[in-house]
Amino acid sequence: MTTYLDLHCHSVASDDSRATVEQYLKWINVLRKRGFTIDGIVLTEHRQFDFDVDYSQLASEYGVIVLKGAELDTCFGHMLVYNITPGLAKDVDFGDVKMDGRELIKAARHHGGFVVPAHPGRFGIGLVEYMGQGEEFPGVSVVERVNAGSKPEENERADELCRNTGYLGTAGSDAHLASHIGRAVTEFKATIRTEPELVDALLSGEFRPIYIEETAASPVA
Amino acid sequence: MPTQIDYEYDHSLYGVEHESGPFPVTEEIVETYTRSVGEDNPIFTDRESARAAGYSNVVAPPTLCALFERGELPDIKLQFKGRQFHGGQRVEPRAPIMVGDTLTASSHLKDVYTKTGRSGTMVHVVWETTFRNQDGAVVADVQRSQVVRE
Repeated sequence: MTTYLDLHCHSVASDDSRATVEQYLKWINVLRKRGFTIDGIVLTEHRQFDFDVDYSQLASEYGVIVLKGAELDTCFGHMLVYNITPGLAKDVDFGDVKMDGRELIKAARHHGGFVVPAHPGRFGIGLVEYMGQGEEFPGVSVVERVNAGSKPEENERADELCRNTGYLGTAGSDAHLASHIGRAVTEFKATIRTEPELVDALLSGEFRPIYIEETAASPVA
Repeated sequence: MPTQIDYEYDHSLYGVEHESGPFPVTEEIVETYTRSVGEDNPIFTDRESARAAGYSNVVAPPTLCALFERGELPDIKLQFKGRQFHGGQRVEPRAPIMVGDTLTASSHLKDVYTKTGRSGTMVHVVWETTFRNQDGAVVADVQRSQVVRE
């Protein structure tokens, strides 16, 4: 079964967001009423991961899948990390904004996680900048091709990166406000209900980045 | 490629409260502030309406205390140098503030952390201030972030 997930968003747990998780879930149901399809979100709070916070009751109440990841600052830009385990959190200092991104990618895979460089086309901080400086990233196979919080020209740079390297692309809203959730989603061929299933789906390569408008069965006013 | 960010600072400030005030909440301040933020709820502008709503006097908009949240705070002796700017305030109202109240503030260093963005590396210095009224009741908690950008 196809699964549509917003793979990048921030709740009030991040220092620069004002949206609560419940507000996101309410807005997703507004989007559904408008004819769009979105099954769930992955919370990717900045520089942190809270093992204790449990959104399962909210998820059940609103009928939305809520998974947890993180967006970590590295010396090679921001990176989205999925399926974070205690072992990974022990090996990596999530608050170190100059951590080696390549080491993070290795550590995440070692612990069953998966890293997707965020907004790679973003000026000054995206992977494209560092590749332009001659840096190589053998551990990267997937990047965030569509980031709804980026400028159009930044997403064009991400597009070009994918075309030139063969990287696969995901999509996420990078929402910091309730009404921004779901603006871009990743369409997976697989059924995804848990973080390990998300990693399996990313490893399978069977997904594509789309804007929410593409999920509508018929044109939406 | 990885480089350490030197953002050493005076850690001894943690756990130390810095008192400021008193801040009288006058009718004039509330009127000016209410007008400046475009608030038109009569409990903020008219005593009778405020009393009819169960308050003893004209109520101040909950964010009013942010006006007072700019007293002199200690230099944290941050080693990271750059341009500084206001990174925002977050006000959590706890109880109504009313004309005639006298507030006092107690501030402490809450956090110092780094982040990266399009413009480079930034250090956020976060202060938390608790406001109390003349009866000792907490009326608001305010977090303020000062940003230093490389």
